[in-house]
Amino acid sequence: MATTAIISISSDIAPGFSGISESMTLTQAGTLTDIDSTTGFQIRKLSATGAVDLVTMASELVEPKDSVASKIYIRNIGYKGTVDKSVGVTIGVNAEPIGLLYGGDWMMMPLTCIDADDITVNPATDDTVVIEYVMFYEEA
Amino acid sequence: MATTTAAVTLTSDLLSDNMSVSATTTCMKAGTTADGLDQMEYGYLDLPTGDEYDLIATTPTASKASKLYLKNHSTDETYYVAVTQNAQAIGKLYGGDWMFIPADFHDAAGDIAITANGGTNKICYALFHEGTVLVTT
Repeated sequence: MATTAIISISSDIAPGFSGISESMTLTQAGTLTDIDSTTGFQIRKLSATGAVDLVTMASELVEPKDSVASKIYIRNIGYKGTVDKSVGVTIGVNAEPIGLLYGGDWMMMPLTCIDADDITVNPATDDTVVIEYVMFYEEA
Repeated sequence: MATTTAAVTLTSDLLSDNMSVSATTTCMKAGTTADGLDQMEYGYLDLPTGDEYDLIATTPTASKASKLYLKNHSTDETYYVAVTQNAQAIGKLYGGDWMFIPADFHDAAGDIAITANGGTNKICYALFHEGTVLVTT
């Protein structure tokens, strides 16, 4: 079965745009071999502004291999059933802001997994918000 | 209101029981709950090796909401595209890989840049955004 991710995007912005539906199987770099390690599915509750590590690469129990085919899925799931799409959490890599995940938004991106490239989260407000995530990687 | 939705289904058998996660979101303008993104770019291109290229030529203004989809359609699994934002390495998309991020184009240097490795890579991308104003020639 392996690890797979399927994305479907629909939009009525542009007339004639028929949408996007694509699947990928997460494999090890440059091969057709399935990716073999994961952090497991986790959540992190945030209740104050200020950037904190979501994933500290140097602190993973199983050392991730650097600069290969790692991926992370992150979603802002709000708090106790309340999902506010007007405020969000800035996701960063090594202090570089990648983008703002508003309530309910999700993202999936590749990672370098090198020690400096920690994944950070920084809420826009002090309101409690929960981030769920799972990282897939190769063992060093 | 223009409506753009993005859904993902993620499954894995790496854990003791199969993991399956599904999520759907409607892509809204920054700071709103009732107004969806209303602009988009959609493209498919050949990315030659040798140089780094800005993927997005027209940068949406800061503090706007943007969503970027990018897929490497190369059929050779050894080919990959290195993705950076503002010179910070994000990661590598090998042949068949895709990514979907809320791109933060916070300044002119915040563009997403891509570099092909292994050979000419086939790239498909879609940027859903707001607030771009055309520049007169």
